Amino acid sequence: MKRTGILVLALVSCALVLFFVAGMGSSVAELEDIVGNEIINRIAPNISAAAGMKLASEYAGSKTQEELETLVISGATAGIRTAARMALSITYAQKTVIELTALATGDIDPAFREAASAPLQNFLIEMSADDLKTMAVSGATHEIRLAAADLYYLKTRGDLTAEKLEMEAVLNDSAELAYMAGVYLSGFYLSFNPKTMEELEELARNGETEGMRMAGATALTSMLIQSDLTAGDLELAVQAIGDAYPELLQAYTDALAHRYGS
Amino acid sequence: MKKVALILMAMLFVLSASAVLMAQGYDAQPADAKIIPLGEKGTAYENQEPGVQGGTMYVATISDPKKWNSVTAHETSTTQYTNMMLRGLVDINPVTGAIEAELAKSWDISVSNLVITFHLRQGLKWSDGEPFTADDVVFTFNDLIYNEDVETDTRDILLLPDDTYPVVEKVDDYTVKVTMSMIFRPILNSIGTPILPKHAVAQYVHKLNPDVPVGTFNSSWGLDTDPAELVGMGPFMVESYAPDQHVTMVRNPYYYHYDAEGTQLPYLDKYVLLTVASQDVSLLKFRNGELDALGIRATDVPILKREEAVKNITVLVDPDVANYGTSWISLNQDIGLAEGTHENLRTLYRTRDFRAAISHLVDKQAMIDTLYNGLAVPQWSPVSYLSPFYAGRDYYGGPVTETDAVVFEYSLDKAAELLDGIGIIDRDGDGWRDYEDGTRVEIEINTNAGNTVREGVCLIVSDRASKIGLKLNFVPVDFNTLVNKLFAATGDMIVLGLTGGNEPNSGSNVYNSCGGLHCWRYSACDEPNEIEKRIDDLLDAAVATLDNDEAFEIYKEYQITLANDDLGLVYTVNSAFTYAYSNRVGNANISGPTATPSGTNGLTMDLAFLK
Repeated sequence: MKRTGILVLALVSCALVLFFVAGMGSSVAELEDIVGNEIINRIAPNISAAAGMKLASEYAGSKTQEELETLVISGATAGIRTAARMALSITYAQKTVIELTALATGDIDPAFREAASAPLQNFLIEMSADDLKTMAVSGATHEIRLAAADLYYLKTRGDLTAEKLEMEAVLNDSAELAYMAGVYLSGFYLSFNPKTMEELEELARNGETEGMRMAGATALTSMLIQSDLTAGDLELAVQAIGDAYPELLQAYTDALAHRYGS
Repeated sequence: MKKVALILMAMLFVLSASAVLMAQGYDAQPADAKIIPLGEKGTAYENQEPGVQGGTMYVATISDPKKWNSVTAHETSTTQYTNMMLRGLVDINPVTGAIEAELAKSWDISVSNLVITFHLRQGLKWSDGEPFTADDVVFTFNDLIYNEDVETDTRDILLLPDDTYPVVEKVDDYTVKVTMSMIFRPILNSIGTPILPKHAVAQYVHKLNPDVPVGTFNSSWGLDTDPAELVGMGPFMVESYAPDQHVTMVRNPYYYHYDAEGTQLPYLDKYVLLTVASQDVSLLKFRNGELDALGIRATDVPILKREEAVKNITVLVDPDVANYGTSWISLNQDIGLAEGTHENLRTLYRTRDFRAAISHLVDKQAMIDTLYNGLAVPQWSPVSYLSPFYAGRDYYGGPVTETDAVVFEYSLDKAAELLDGIGIIDRDGDGWRDYEDGTRVEIEINTNAGNTVREGVCLIVSDRASKIGLKLNFVPVDFNTLVNKLFAATGDMIVLGLTGGNEPNSGSNVYNSCGGLHCWRYSACDEPNEIEKRIDDLLDAAVATLDNDEAFEIYKEYQITLANDDLGLVYTVNSAFTYAYSNRVGNANISGPTATPSGTNGLTMDLAFLK
């Protein structure tokens, strides 16, 4: 046990040095190094995924749809799978509304449904707010419910207030609507109803519901990106947070992905 | 993660769509080229930077153009393109707001202030390679703007108080003399109208080409014109147009603006305006990275603020700066006049107390709170909030105090009292107010479909009206259809807006009783009432003095008279300056408050570049 522990510590130490250097440079080659590194994937899959986010356009330009669909499922690391899924979303933009709907509602791997949901929104935006809300409640899959919930709040943005969203992020007609209420609430925390970084971090960590935690986490991501924290700082934070606080972890991972790309 | 993917998707799209540079153009930078000193300290452009040529920029619009003819255009759905295609003798500096040289490189004003001699830039060419000369200037004024066969609002803003126009004469190929019969203070504002190419459009003018019927020019440069036939001096020309899809503009190889490093402007190869169904779609597309800039509404701010850092965009919000322009409700006092119909409604609209009642129904605070998230100011004057002549100031250019503001506070009681007073009451007990003859007062209120803020204004006004038994039916319609209704005097109650500027005389085409856009009562031109006559007199007096302080006092009375006595337009609220752009767009920070709903706001397109 002791020996294994020492080995792991050494690996983490090396990995952090590697991440930091990559974060400073963040060229495609360096990002490829990170997402291809199984040790990083094993120790810090979120860092691998963060690098993957920034490789999506590279994947979309260099791989076929079939290759991407294979990598989404069987990519060796979280970074490769993330890059492939996001690249697939770019590729799927060429599909028809019927094809995208079939994918987003299909009995297939959720990664494919998520990839199809984003381009599908370009068609769903034509629906009325009421119809979008209905879809956000009773859509066939989580992914299409989430896409509809997003557009429902976009279309009703004229009626939104922080108070209204705070209620709807706690109690709503579907989990997806509550989640998106939180995401939209985050914008108010960054503009008309500002909160401090400490308040947002606490909300992302211990918010009453997933929606409220998302409100904190999404706003926190913006603040982290605009902060002086380096990629190395964010990598350390991602490691320290672990899986106990998924929304907080997501905030730091998203900010780290941004650092990789900047 | 999904959001990041969409941005990348859009970037790929943009890269693949980048165009090959057009050929031709000047062999060398013309000696009289206009140099924009980007990044040079001590200049208006010190906060901008020299850019690089290339790339395509995407924005969105919710209306197709009506035509490509700037002279006959009344609507921004057209002028947002023609303003790119054409240039005037002078223009307004996008940073300082001062008048500056454009096609004219300089001008001299006589001691009497009655003669201005414009010295044109030499060696410039139209987009088709033909030389630009004084003939084009003289043609534009004498054969188009002053030509009674041509339908244009520009005549209104050049009309002197003595009912003459500035006389435009050619001195030589590169000198033009403008002579006025009397002092006309805003001459430099008015003379900046776009200049058209004589060689390309003279053929459509009956007085120059008797083979074509009178009025042919009015339908020239329509949407069916081959874009290759459109000729201009502006930074971009129309390359292609697909209804309900896009207008693609391409760099004018003969544009005469250069940066200080000798790079010809515009920097962009192409500028694409995507036609979208609504502001919802344009917001989604901007969020997804498919658009590079967006004239946003206050309700968009929270959505974009949360994505500002993640998606590398900038969201500009200045709550203290209201956009230029006005937003209003027009009650068509001529409704049914030509057809002999709608007598009840026409009489009602012509009753000042009815218009005052509608003013009391405009719940401006609700509009500001719910439609603008607080980022708007109540509006009461026809003059833009930012203008130094705005009557909310105590003196020319002074701070806004609103000491003399004309306020019709939101009050259902006062509105109901006014309606009762003119006999508009519920006569059959069904809850809705009726005319004296017992028929129900029923009004259709329109605005352009897809403009969610204006739609919100309609809904708020309709809702408040219903609370006192006044029936308003909201029907959104296509923008260009709405404009047609406005011009044909076939509309009922319409919610729309006008662009604006610092010089109130630019609104004389609207507020003068014979103005081409006097949309609430065109019949006033033939039968002006005493208030309209007074307004006409004030407009005349304000341009006849060179003293801005004196002009301010005159314009103050003009604004108060319009807002309190005439009430032709019922003003709503005006948004604060809000704007968003991708950080990949260089010099986007030059954008400033305008009322141009082009999606680019004040973005100076010839300076924008892609990083």
